Amino acid sequence: MSQGKIVGGFVAPHPPHLVYGENPPQNEARSEGGWEPLRWAYERARKSLEEMKPDVLLVHSPHWQTLVGHHFLGVPHLEGKSVDPIFSNLFRYKFSLDVDVELAEACCREAAAMGLTTKMMRNPKFRVDYGTITTLHMIRPQWDIPIVGISANNSPYYLSVDEGVEQMDTLGVATRKAIEKSGKRAVLLASNTFSHWHFHEEPDVPEDMSREHPQSYEGYKWDMKMIELMRQGNLKEVMRLFPEWVEEAFAEVKSGAFPWMLSAMGYPEIPAELHGYGTVIGTGNAVMEWNLEKAAARDAAVA
Amino acid sequence: MTVVSAFLVPGSPLPYLRQDNAPWQPLAAGYEKVRDALQASKPDALLIYSTQWFAVLDQLWQARPHLTGEHVDENWYEYGDLTIDLRSDTDLVGACIAGCADIGIRAKGVDYDHFPVDTGTIVANNFVNPGGKIPLVIAANNLYHGPGETEKLAAMAVEQADKQGKRLAVLAIGGLSAAYFDEDIDIADDRIRHDADDAANRQLLDALANGDRRSASEALGRFNEGTKADMGMKHLSWLFGATGDFKGAQVHAYGPTYGAGAAVVEFNL
Repeated sequence: MSQGKIVGGFVAPHPPHLVYGENPPQNEARSEGGWEPLRWAYERARKSLEEMKPDVLLVHSPHWQTLVGHHFLGVPHLEGKSVDPIFSNLFRYKFSLDVDVELAEACCREAAAMGLTTKMMRNPKFRVDYGTITTLHMIRPQWDIPIVGISANNSPYYLSVDEGVEQMDTLGVATRKAIEKSGKRAVLLASNTFSHWHFHEEPDVPEDMSREHPQSYEGYKWDMKMIELMRQGNLKEVMRLFPEWVEEAFAEVKSGAFPWMLSAMGYPEIPAELHGYGTVIGTGNAVMEWNLEKAAARDAAVA
Repeated sequence: MTVVSAFLVPGSPLPYLRQDNAPWQPLAAGYEKVRDALQASKPDALLIYSTQWFAVLDQLWQARPHLTGEHVDENWYEYGDLTIDLRSDTDLVGACIAGCADIGIRAKGVDYDHFPVDTGTIVANNFVNPGGKIPLVIAANNLYHGPGETEKLAAMAVEQADKQGKRLAVLAIGGLSAAYFDEDIDIADDRIRHDADDAANRQLLDALANGDRRSASEALGRFNEGTKADMGMKHLSWLFGATGDFKGAQVHAYGPTYGAGAAVVEFNL
């Protein structure tokens, strides 16, 4: 068996509005559209993902928040209807997904061996969170690639941002080790928004884009600064500024998905591709890609 | 009198799903006392606020006439499933939604099958209202509302019930100190995680047992200043807003839920 590898990673935010705007058959709520630039960003990301030909998608979602350790979906097939508790008017989605339990167990074992508290979720009636489902739908609506679902341990909120990042860094390394041993081609999905300042009231027509703009200019400026650093491949600076970004932009990256993904990829100093940026109820959302395989091929060609 | 009974109860599923675990038995037994007291107060509806149903846009109210199904908690899934059987007092819910406009808060009802009702609401309803015979009025915890808005919302709900000539029981669902064990423990040895939290919880419960709304509000302020509390104890703000005042309380149970503090309290109205 050849060594498995992480072929790429995406920042893949999960506002259910994007699914609502797309009107897929799985979603009960119907819209007149909306949030097109972000949805078109996902269209570009879908094409890249297709070219990567992954065997498995690993998604870390802030909306499966666990108190005791890092949990992994451990049931081969999960299905049901996911209703968003906050945006139930927009997101009532019938999902059906296959879990790569073998890889999930391997990630769980590696993380435990590195000192993290971990657990496999084995209850077949478990309701998969809407963050996981939205990210997976937006990046791969065919639902034909097995997934590994990872919870967001509460440590960045319960302990401190630094302690949370430390745990996510360890989880990332453990994830990479498990993937390498698996022989599989894996793509990582960090399901989070950037600036998370948002409006507190919903327009009568949720998709009325005349009402959509950044809620906070400070949050917007932070997002642009961090995206530019990512586009330059300067992840050292991104991580140096990470706590300030979290604090001043109320950035959802605090929940762990973003540092987990960067750690798993080894903080690659390659330019990230921005597929698009847009706001959803005022929050900042970027669809971004790190294509490790393409970067390695470029390096090899230069050498 | 519109509010005929009022209770503080925990939202953790642990005492419900594992009633055989010694540290959680007192909470389950306390819940049984609440069930009896609540039934004896003969309410027409239960006014419920759980810290675990989050809202961030508008004030949400559960408007589905009848919700059924099974729920699996995202943390404690290995201990079993929770049966959902909730009926809403849709007339009163509608009045509460309309009444929110009068206090300057945008509101809407949620009326969808498979709606993910929070664990706390399901646990409390299953303990005290088995079979869902008493209709409910369930309000979300809008994370951006402070204690003042939370009290106003509860008072408005009682006013609407009064207009409809209904007797209300109030359920404030949530914990006390929120510090929990973030690693695996032997649940048979569960205890309040920090001694300081234990002392603060006991002081607050003493203030509730022996005080009134004014003195309890002062004690609550001190509790929130010195303790990482469950959602700033907004569930108590809800109860204070609904009851207006009270004359002491009976603490039926106090104990840990994986390190966090929880209590079952019946207020004397």
